[in-house]
This record gives sequence, structure tokens and C-alpha cells, in this order.
Amino acid sequence: MTAPTSPTKPIQMGVIGWLGSLAEAAINVPSAYRQNFRRHPRRTIILTVLIVFGILYPVLNREIFQPWNRQSSFPLPFPEDAVVTFMMILSIMAIGLNIVAGFAGLLDLGYVAFYALGAYTAAFLASPHFGSVSVVLFSQVPPGFPGIHLPFWMLVPLGFSVAALFGVLLGAPTLRLRGDYLAIVTLGFGEIVPVVFKNLSAVNFDFGPIHLVNANLTGGNLGINPIDPPRFFGITFGSNSGIAAVYLGMILLVGAIVIARNLERSRMGRAWMAIREDEIAAEMMGVNLVRTKLLAFGLGASFAGVAGVMQASYQGVTTSDFFMFSTSILILIMIILGGIGNIWGVIVGALTIAFLDKTFLPYLGQRFQAIDPNLPNPSQFNFLIFGILLVVMMRFRPEGFLPSRQRAAELRHAPVGQAIGSAAVMGDAALASEEQADTLAAAQVEAVEAEEAADAAEAPEAPHDDADRPRDGT
Amino acid sequence: MTAAPSLTGDLRTGVLPEDAVIVRARGVTKRFGGLVAVNEVDFDIPRGAIVSLIGPNGAGKTTFFNMITGAYTPTAGEISFDGKPLITKSRSKVRSKKPHEVTALGIGRTFQNIRLFGTMSTLDNVRVGLHVHMRSHWWDSVLRTPGMRAEEQASIDRGMELLELVGLETRAEVWARNLPYGDQRRLEIARALATKPQLLLLDEPTAGMNSSETAEMTSFIRRLREELKLTVLLIEHDMRVVMGISDRVTVLDYGEVIAEGTPVEVRANPRVIEAYLGRGAAAEA
Repeated sequence: MTAPTSPTKPIQMGVIGWLGSLAEAAINVPSAYRQNFRRHPRRTIILTVLIVFGILYPVLNREIFQPWNRQSSFPLPFPEDAVVTFMMILSIMAIGLNIVAGFAGLLDLGYVAFYALGAYTAAFLASPHFGSVSVVLFSQVPPGFPGIHLPFWMLVPLGFSVAALFGVLLGAPTLRLRGDYLAIVTLGFGEIVPVVFKNLSAVNFDFGPIHLVNANLTGGNLGINPIDPPRFFGITFGSNSGIAAVYLGMILLVGAIVIARNLERSRMGRAWMAIREDEIAAEMMGVNLVRTKLLAFGLGASFAGVAGVMQASYQGVTTSDFFMFSTSILILIMIILGGIGNIWGVIVGALTIAFLDKTFLPYLGQRFQAIDPNLPNPSQFNFLIFGILLVVMMRFRPEGFLPSRQRAAELRHAPVGQAIGSAAVMGDAALASEEQADTLAAAQVEAVEAEEAADAAEAPEAPHDDADRPRDGT
Repeated sequence: MTAAPSLTGDLRTGVLPEDAVIVRARGVTKRFGGLVAVNEVDFDIPRGAIVSLIGPNGAGKTTFFNMITGAYTPTAGEISFDGKPLITKSRSKVRSKKPHEVTALGIGRTFQNIRLFGTMSTLDNVRVGLHVHMRSHWWDSVLRTPGMRAEEQASIDRGMELLELVGLETRAEVWARNLPYGDQRRLEIARALATKPQLLLLDEPTAGMNSSETAEMTSFIRRLREELKLTVLLIEHDMRVVMGISDRVTVLDYGEVIAEGTPVEVRANPRVIEAYLGRGAAAEA
């Protein structure tokens, strides 16, 4: 939260001013870090360790963990490079869905459609699929090679734009819808897009100047293959290039975090939160609902578009089977478990779920098989496990691992407001300090728990469960 | 702004010249199915005046409010604000300006049942009100361009000024929902003021307040008019407030204007007494 007392400095305009502010921010990093360290030493140390570990993980994994796993009789579940890359891709999507569902409060159950659109954008524009033409721009393939070949750095903005465009197209007819109805329409959109990609494999079309006879536009069930891997400075970042791709994913993720953070702390971010809190009041206060919602849909979708470009370029293949409804649900589970509304929370959620899904459960399966081949393989029950996890979370911590303070309060309804309310009345301006806010948050959780315990003791069938349920209806 | 009309003179609807009137409503009607909520209302709000709209429950006061702010489209009639029409007719279809467009023109409002953005800070609530006059785009926000940062800083400064005006500057970081009731009412006014209104619509600003809070709010509304040169339209049930601060009172009953005039005139009007207290009371009076 911005401190209202920050000294007002004249801000230099123009490109120079912008570069200057970037430089200033860069110069201020050490002092800002020291300040954080003084204020919250424990948190800063934990965060530093986590971030350093995260950055070094691919190297550590290659040099230490995997060799150890190969010779050890008891391997541990260290995610491989491919899994870590997908963790990055899924985190980017979680951040994007968080803009739509977390900031603006618009439940989108068809988010995977934008992932598919991004992936197919990359597939069309960087593969030999359209072999009858040859467009090679700044690409690694030789000139004259069949198909359209654009470089990765052009695909990313294109995937961003295509997904944003379709986000707006989806948003436009759903502007008046709320809650369940919106969820159903988005769900339909999420089903339509992959089916369209699946079925446009033999198109007959004859109208005006366009004549298509049995044209294979999307590769049908087989999808499009091979797609050029990303390539910068002579280094390839594909699925065979090990840790390079992981770092490319990390760079994209950092970009996504920065963009989402900047949007959150802006006029538009406040407008999103305002329409989430009270749409009518927001409109009366001058928020243009149409524009604000369409921006939420468009910008939220664009993150999935970039994730899709990364997926297609990284894997070198894309088929409509990658983009099933279950992926939409998976992303939604990530942001709900992680803490809807909070960028860091949804990243934690994405990493956790991706780790469980792609590394830990298969690993458990292997361990079980080693004990007895008849034991069930938990990776076949992944959605059952996520479902149980979700139910348990909803009961004991509905706001997620790392909630935004707003959403936590909303989800733990009335008692919190009163608990804090009285504290706020007695408290003073110093409330602004984050530390106190944290204590308050802890106090409110305690208060709620106490209240719940009291409720449970008095009337076990008390209907307060309903109030605890998140209003998105998930 | 043109010279403010003398507030002691005749402020009756239809008497004042065009430029002395900020809102002019003619023949405004709103039907909900078979129910006529507002029927053929003519109503002028003189610039710089404090005008009260009173009437029994269900008389159509809030409906009328909602038509001025664009939340409802009238079934028939015309409303203009500051000389600009808020209602347009194309063929037979009546269109109203959207609420956010009306807000941008300079009408701010509060709500009968407080509608703050509960889990946003007090300051951010006010900054949402400033939104309509901010110009930075989303790409400015993504890049944090100097223009965007200057605008954000300006919005913080202006937000703090407004919080000071309503006496909430020490609560800037408190969530709106955690404020005591009276403070929430004042925050709603600050948020409405952030939209730079010329006309402020207050829907029962003293509802649920005790008498000292009510007195405070009354003097605050008067101060707003003096210091910010605002025109205020007020829906109010508390007659002490209405009689205390209004330059003019309009009484609605069953969607129709049954009386208008100075507080003293309206108080003595038999039709008003009848509407409020019943026929017998009117006969006694």
C-alpha cells in the first residue's frame, strides 16, 4: 500500500524521465532491501533464500539433485527441467487469471481458450505448417524454407495481442452477466476454442476470393508439429536444451509479475477492485464499467496468450488435447489455493499444484509401485486429490496460502470486520505500518477461529458455513 | 460560473432563467411495469442552492435521484444538467447518459445505504472517485511512465486533501468497512467530492445518526456549499435537517410534486401535512 506521507518530488516527464526513474529504482534496490531487512528481518531472509534457491534451482538440479537421484537407492521428488518450465508457464497463467478473477472478481472458467489461442498463434507463425508459402523473418531457419517462420520475440507480443483481442471479444457479450451466468458463458468459450482448433483440419470454403478445398488449417487431432524453438544469440531454448528454457520461462514470469504488479497499483487496478467490491457504486463514482471489464478480460487473457506461445515454442508441438477444460480448472485451483487476489499467493499456488501434479504424485506412484505393483498410482487420481485439497482448504483456510488482505477479509465475513473495526476505532494513524496490519490479520484469524469454535460448541449445525464460502461459487 | 442567484429570492420551478438553474427536469416520468414511480415531475435546482426532496416512503425520491445520475432511464421527460441534456431521444427510444458519463459532467452522489468499497483503504476509496478525471492508460501503468506516476502522486495528494476536508486524514490507510458509521458517511461524501461535482446528491446523509452527529453533518453540508460553491440536492427524512439547511423544499407523494417552496411555506402546506400525517391531521391543522 502506498504511504500517503511519501515526500512529493517533482517528476521529470518524457522518455528521459522514464529512464531516469528506472535507473533510480535500480539504484534504490540495495537501500530498499536494507530497509525491508530492518523492518521484517525474518520475512526478508526467508524470501531471499527462496528467491536465490529458485534462481539457482535449475543449476543445482542438473549438477547435484539429478545425479544424486540417479545413484541413490531412495530418489527424492526433484522437478525436472521440463516440469520447472511448465511451472513457469502455469504461474504466468495463474497471474493472468488472477487479474480477471482476483482483481476484477469476474469468474472465468474458460481461461484455457486463451492459452490455446497463444499456442496456435505460435504454431501458425513459426512452423512449416503452411508449407505453400514461405515467410522467413529474423528466424533461424534458412530463407526459402516452407511455412511462416517468425522469431520468438515477435511471437510473444503477437500471442499477447491475439489473446487480448479474443479476451475482449469474449468480454463484450458477457458484460451484463455476473456470477454463475458469467461462469457458464466463459465455460462455453473455453470448450469452443479447442474444439474449433481440433476440427478445422479439412475445411471446404468457397466464398468471394477465398477458395479452400479440404484445407488443413489447424492440423486437427495431430496438431502442429514441429514448431521452431525460441532462439536468442545462437542459443536454443527448446525442450532439448535443458536449463536454458527454464531461465527463459523465469524471465517471462518476472515480466508477468512486474506487469501485473504495476497494473494492480494503478488507476485501473483500483477500478477493478472497486467493481469487485460494488459494481453499482463504482459506476456511480465514474468508473466506466464496459472499458474496465473489457480491459480486465483482455489483459488477463493476454497472459495466457504469452504462456501459450511459450508452451508451443518450448515443446515444439501443440495439439488441441493440451487445452482441455481440466486445465482451466487446474489454473483456478492454483489461484484459489494460493490466495486469490495476491500475485505472490497465486504463484505459490501454481508452483505447488504444478509440483504435485507433475512431479510429486508420479513420484509417489513410482514409490508405491516399487513396494507393490498392485498399489494404486496417485497420479491417476490427481484431480481427486486436488478436489480433496480444495475442500480441506475451504474449510480451514478459505483465503488460500498467501491471501490478499482484502480477499481474506471478504471470505471470512462479518466477524472480521467487527474485530478489526473495534481495533481501528481504538487504534491510531500508525495502523498504516504493515507490521501492525499483519498483527491485525493474525488477530482477525484468531478471532474468527475463536468465533467458529464458539459456534461449533453452541450449535454444531449452525449455518455459518455458508458465510465462509467464497462468493465466486467455487 | 455565472453570478449565483440570490438565494433569498423566488426559487420556484419555472421562474428562474436558464443560467441560474443547474438541473432542469421537465415532465419526468418513470414507470416500472404498471407502477408509476415518478409522474410528470417538473423540477429546477437553482445554482448554489441547497434543495431538499422530501416525501413519505415510496414517494419516488430515490427513483428521481437515480434518473439524474443515469442509473435509471426515464420513461418520458427531459433532464438537463448545466445546460446539457442528460436524456436524449432517438426515434421513440429514450436514452440516458451512462452513470459514469454523468459523473464526469459533474454530478456526485452518496447512497442511502452506504456503498463504500469495503476492503479498500479510505484513501483508495477517494482515489476511485478521482478515477474519472485521471487520464493515464493501462500501458502507462505497465511502464510506470512519469506522467502516470505524477498523476498517481497528484491523486494521493488530492485524496488526502479531501480526507482532511471531512476529517478523516488520520484514517487514510484504514479499510472503509472498519470505519465507524458516521465516518463512513463522511467518507462517502469525500468520495463523491473527488469526482469534482458541481452538484452533490445526498441520499439521506443523516440516516441512522444521533442528534449530535446529525448537527455535525448539517453544518458540514452547509460548509460544503460555502467553501466549494456546490449545489446540493438532498433526500432527507429528518425534518430538523430539512428545515434547518434547505433554501427550498420539494415534496413528492406518489411520484408527483405536491408542494414546493421555502421550508416555512412547505411546513404550512395542508397537502404536505396530509401526505405525512393523514387526512384527519390536515383537517385539524
